[in-house]
Amino acid sequence: MHKILIITLFVLLSTGCSLQQYHNNELADQLQQQKPEKILSTLQEKDPGDTDIAQYYLNLGYLQLLTGQFDPAIKSLTHAEKEMQSLAAISVTENVAAGTVNETFRKYSGYPTDRVMVHNMLALSYLFNNDIEGARVEMLQADVAMKKLVSGRQLNGQLASTHLLSAMIYELLDERSNAFISYQSAESILTQRKATLPEGLKLGLLRMSKKMGNDQQYAKYSQKFPSLVQRAKTNKQVFSLYFDGVVSNKVERTVMVPSHDHGQLIRISMPAYDKQDYRLQRLKMSDGQQQVRSDVIENIDSLAREDLDREYPSILLLTTTRAIAKYELVQRGHEQSSLVGTLLNIATVLSEIADLRSWNMLPATIQFSYLDTNADNVIVSSVNDIDHKISLSKGTQHVILTTSLTDKVFHYQQ
Amino acid sequence: MKIKSKFWLVVAATLVLSGCSTSVERLDAQQQIDLSGAWNDTDSQLVAREMVDDALSRAWITKFVKTQGKDPAVIVGRIKNLSHEHINTNAFIANIERELINSGEVQFVASSGARQEIRDERADQDLNATEATRKEMGQEYGADYMMQGQINTIIDVDGTTQVRFYQVNLELISIKDNRKVWVGEKKIKKLVKNSKLRE
Repeated sequence: MHKILIITLFVLLSTGCSLQQYHNNELADQLQQQKPEKILSTLQEKDPGDTDIAQYYLNLGYLQLLTGQFDPAIKSLTHAEKEMQSLAAISVTENVAAGTVNETFRKYSGYPTDRVMVHNMLALSYLFNNDIEGARVEMLQADVAMKKLVSGRQLNGQLASTHLLSAMIYELLDERSNAFISYQSAESILTQRKATLPEGLKLGLLRMSKKMGNDQQYAKYSQKFPSLVQRAKTNKQVFSLYFDGVVSNKVERTVMVPSHDHGQLIRISMPAYDKQDYRLQRLKMSDGQQQVRSDVIENIDSLAREDLDREYPSILLLTTTRAIAKYELVQRGHEQSSLVGTLLNIATVLSEIADLRSWNMLPATIQFSYLDTNADNVIVSSVNDIDHKISLSKGTQHVILTTSLTDKVFHYQQ
Repeated sequence: MKIKSKFWLVVAATLVLSGCSTSVERLDAQQQIDLSGAWNDTDSQLVAREMVDDALSRAWITKFVKTQGKDPAVIVGRIKNLSHEHINTNAFIANIERELINSGEVQFVASSGARQEIRDERADQDLNATEATRKEMGQEYGADYMMQGQINTIIDVDGTTQVRFYQVNLELISIKDNRKVWVGEKKIKKLVKNSKLRE
């Protein structure tokens, strides 16, 4: 009897820890309405649960990047990356707990998108911290991470935005061959995804094939994108990245049914995504003579759904196995006494929680635009109808990062 | 009986918890320890020593001494990190500098950052130091050669196994006429196998 009570109490207490994920999701939802600085300070007040360390530092690092705290962002994102790396191996004890209580007993090890995207965010933190070599290191690490994740012909963890960011960084470092390969890799992923190529990417392919003297490739891309070929010679390059919206949160789908003899309640909870209701908004960039609009290079909202789709069969298998195990446990409790059976049934029902954790503060889309110009400044118009005038007087190559969540504009120039 | 079982429970808990406590052990700085397979202090020291030994055993140094009648003055310039890791190249540069100075075969000139600080000090002395102790401007020892280089990596991954290949390239360039008098290369290959299971 005592053992049963202890098990019931343990299960109920540990379920309390799992409730943290609901607070995290609420916080991510508030990011649409409140400034990142406010969400960051709320997040910093919380202690990460032992099983949610990677998720906590991913969100923390991203918010620190958005608020211009690059050194802390590097520290937090590196912490998250190391944590995810260390969790790549399988834990027997966590699997047993996930198979008997619920999935949140497993430490959050990140989805394939997270494991690559963390390097994107780190690279941007290094870049805007004026450490382009650090950004280059992150891009190489992202490449290794993608190679680890690639399986067959699937695009598991293969991010076009990572290749595009690599290409930009290589172009800034005048590593033409590497830049061209990265632009081509981004093109290949988007083609496989049947997505539209951003105009900035097409221009990158044309520019790099020409700079490298690769006549065959240049002729191929000129034929493919004829409207982009005739461009006047300019002396400044502006690469613009725009983070739009916030990625969707997972929601819990629960079914509760009585057993055949009405002796106990059986609860099954699975993670899911609500129907996509994200409204795409674009960024405009103008130098007075020409205006370009940002195009989507990565739809993170779709990638997050694909990541869950890929994991769904194993989640379903584990959930049903767990339901059977819990059913058996309650049956055995009932054999001892109906009170024990009822207590165990309450515990098993309450502890059945879907794992809703994800890197849920990421932007819904990453967008890209590119401008060749002779002007001394450009105007960047965000969705909030706020125009930002950015001076291009220092240097010839510029990278700009804007987001729909804040009025801050980050600018790297060389 | 109850007291006895509680005692053993406390003993067991103490033993388990003591396994989680932090422990510190002092190690010999020369001891080779590889934890993650990443570039570490051992790699930095070994590569610096072997490459400086190679550089100083080549013909350029004897030719220089023969023609100029003095030891060459060397400065270590920039060593680019083109690897997959955030390597602190300053530590590697410090290892190279130490090996070069301790060889006794070359003169060594301070880096540009250090030189500027010393120039500031001389400028200060110019105003504030006595005539007898003041050090004049324009008496610096100009370097004959600059050592530059880069650290590259190639990583091959298959599941939990990685082959990490490091290639360090250094070259010694004559400051007078940009001639390369020595080019060195050192390769390190590591096989890293990560466990498929954890606690």
